[in-house]
Amino acid sequence: MASAFVAAFEILSFGAIIVLVVLGLGIIASMMGIFNFAQGEFVLLGAYVTYLAYSHGIPVWVGMAAAPFLVGALGFVLEALIIRRFYAAPIVAMLGTYALGLIIRECVRGLIGGLYLSVPEPIGGSIDLGSVHISAWRFTIIVVTILVIIGCYLLLSRTTFGLRVRATLENPALARASGISTAAMYGTTFAFGAALAGLAGALLVPVFSLFADLGIRFLIQGFVAVMVGGVGSFIGPVAGAAVIGTLSAALPWVMAPVIADILVFVLAIVFIKFRPQGLLSGKGV
Amino acid sequence: MGATEQAVRTGIDEQPDLSMAERGASAALVSQARAPRRVLPIVEILALLVAVFLPLVLQDYLTVFATRVIILALFALSFDLVWGYAGIMSFGQALFFGSAGYGVALLARDLNVTSIVLVLPAAMLIGLIVSLLLGGFLLLGRNPSSMIFVALGTLTGSYAADRLARGWYYLGGQNGIPSIPPMSLGSYDLTEGPVYYYFALGILLVVYLLCRFLVRSQFGLALAGLRENEQRIAFFGYKAQHLKAIVFAVGGTIAGLAGGLYAFHEGFVWPNMLGVVISTQVVLYVLFGGSGTLIGAVIGAVIIEGVSFWLSDNYRDIWPILLGILLLLVILFRPLGLISFVLGERERVGSFGGKAKGSRHAAP
Repeated sequence: MASAFVAAFEILSFGAIIVLVVLGLGIIASMMGIFNFAQGEFVLLGAYVTYLAYSHGIPVWVGMAAAPFLVGALGFVLEALIIRRFYAAPIVAMLGTYALGLIIRECVRGLIGGLYLSVPEPIGGSIDLGSVHISAWRFTIIVVTILVIIGCYLLLSRTTFGLRVRATLENPALARASGISTAAMYGTTFAFGAALAGLAGALLVPVFSLFADLGIRFLIQGFVAVMVGGVGSFIGPVAGAAVIGTLSAALPWVMAPVIADILVFVLAIVFIKFRPQGLLSGKGV
Repeated sequence: MGATEQAVRTGIDEQPDLSMAERGASAALVSQARAPRRVLPIVEILALLVAVFLPLVLQDYLTVFATRVIILALFALSFDLVWGYAGIMSFGQALFFGSAGYGVALLARDLNVTSIVLVLPAAMLIGLIVSLLLGGFLLLGRNPSSMIFVALGTLTGSYAADRLARGWYYLGGQNGIPSIPPMSLGSYDLTEGPVYYYFALGILLVVYLLCRFLVRSQFGLALAGLRENEQRIAFFGYKAQHLKAIVFAVGGTIAGLAGGLYAFHEGFVWPNMLGVVISTQVVLYVLFGGSGTLIGAVIGAVIIEGVSFWLSDNYRDIWPILLGILLLLVILFRPLGLISFVLGERERVGSFGGKAKGSRHAAP
């Protein structure tokens, strides 16, 4: 019973991390139609900002709070300078953002070297439930993930800003005719997606430690999750990420990890092939 | 020049009812007859001459390096065929390269098969089978797959294969398969050096000429149409998905051949050969050199590998950053690659006969 509970917690916390990483990716893919290959590097930058704060003696949680804003600002600038030129051609956008990601990743690699740098958890220790101990930080990640999902959902479904974003997604020409600056909307949406990636990186760096290929590790899983969930809505990619995250954390408990690793991808691709619109086909927000 | 262009244009415009392929063919005929292609053959012959005389002036260790570049150029050719001509974004081309490499490495390690007449066809066969399976699954079917799905599907395939090779003890895990014996022909061992260089160059030349024939044939014209407007090609009665699967398999076969050569040249295979790193590397070669021209892929591979080798002594750390910046600049401002500095749009288009205004690769 206790070990089953630990397993469930492990699965849940890994699922939460994947969801957090995919949130930004999904928002950019759904709202702008761009599969952002630099998203993994935004995660990496979030982690790096947190590490930088820690190594300068600033409390870790301050770094974590600053990371989404700094990465979001960078995302805004990059969108205005570069990404904006790619909207009409999704494949070119993939290549362009790949190049962008390469630049960011190699810059960070140059700064930290080939090292694995660890950052302590701002909330250490464990929560004891009878005989079971669960990591307090992983529990915090789950809570924050849920809060962020609810926050994003409310932002997109209940506010004027969300309405404008969705209008821009639905019909850019009509949105422009109604007085919405679609260029500004795209810029803000991209910055928002980048900020979410920065937050994800900041939160997961105590668990995975900082290394240059941190972002790549999650990128392909993230893409697959977005496709499984379905591009075109906010909830779709979140659902996809929950499925992929849960599967990739749960399968190693019942079979050899190597097989489990591959099986998740194979299942996902087969699923997308036969249901290209995804789990939730663009319904809702 | 202007008059010829006019002739070609009117030649096309006066026959609006012909199918795309015939139209393209007539345009090609007209341009062949009246507008001699000038730059492309010159570039090709220059490249060949340089390649033939290079080992005479290079030191031995540089010849070994040059052989590797030749093999990678062959690999780049396979990607160029798939992306530059058919417009299929194969982000996992290393899957075919690597699985053929692993395949021949296993043949050599476990069965002691190193004869050239067996291993190279085996490498091609592995590339063909893997690409047929993956391409068949991704490209065929009732609903045409979106470009994004194919790109991500190939990328995922390559990534999953990388993970599998890393975790599978039989394939050597993280370390791969070391010390593969050299290829042999009878009792002669083909080891790295000038002989291997000319052998690889010969193969590259043959494959290049075959590809050149292919992309200028009727099949090539259909491919060009496919890339420019898939729906229209489908309306003309071509089975667009089948065309795509065929060219994908041809690309996979060439990638497999390159993988086999590479494995025996390096003497070992390791998981990276299957993975995302090499897959994206080959995309960089082709984008850099110029997709949609065969020589562009070769030039891209040579320049990127050459500069990388030259810089690696002093500037190892900043080279990947420079590469990223250069790539970004090329995508933004030279979407047709470096070759477009010497090769006009008309000549590039004329080289496979279709009439294409602008290019889908071009950023808006």
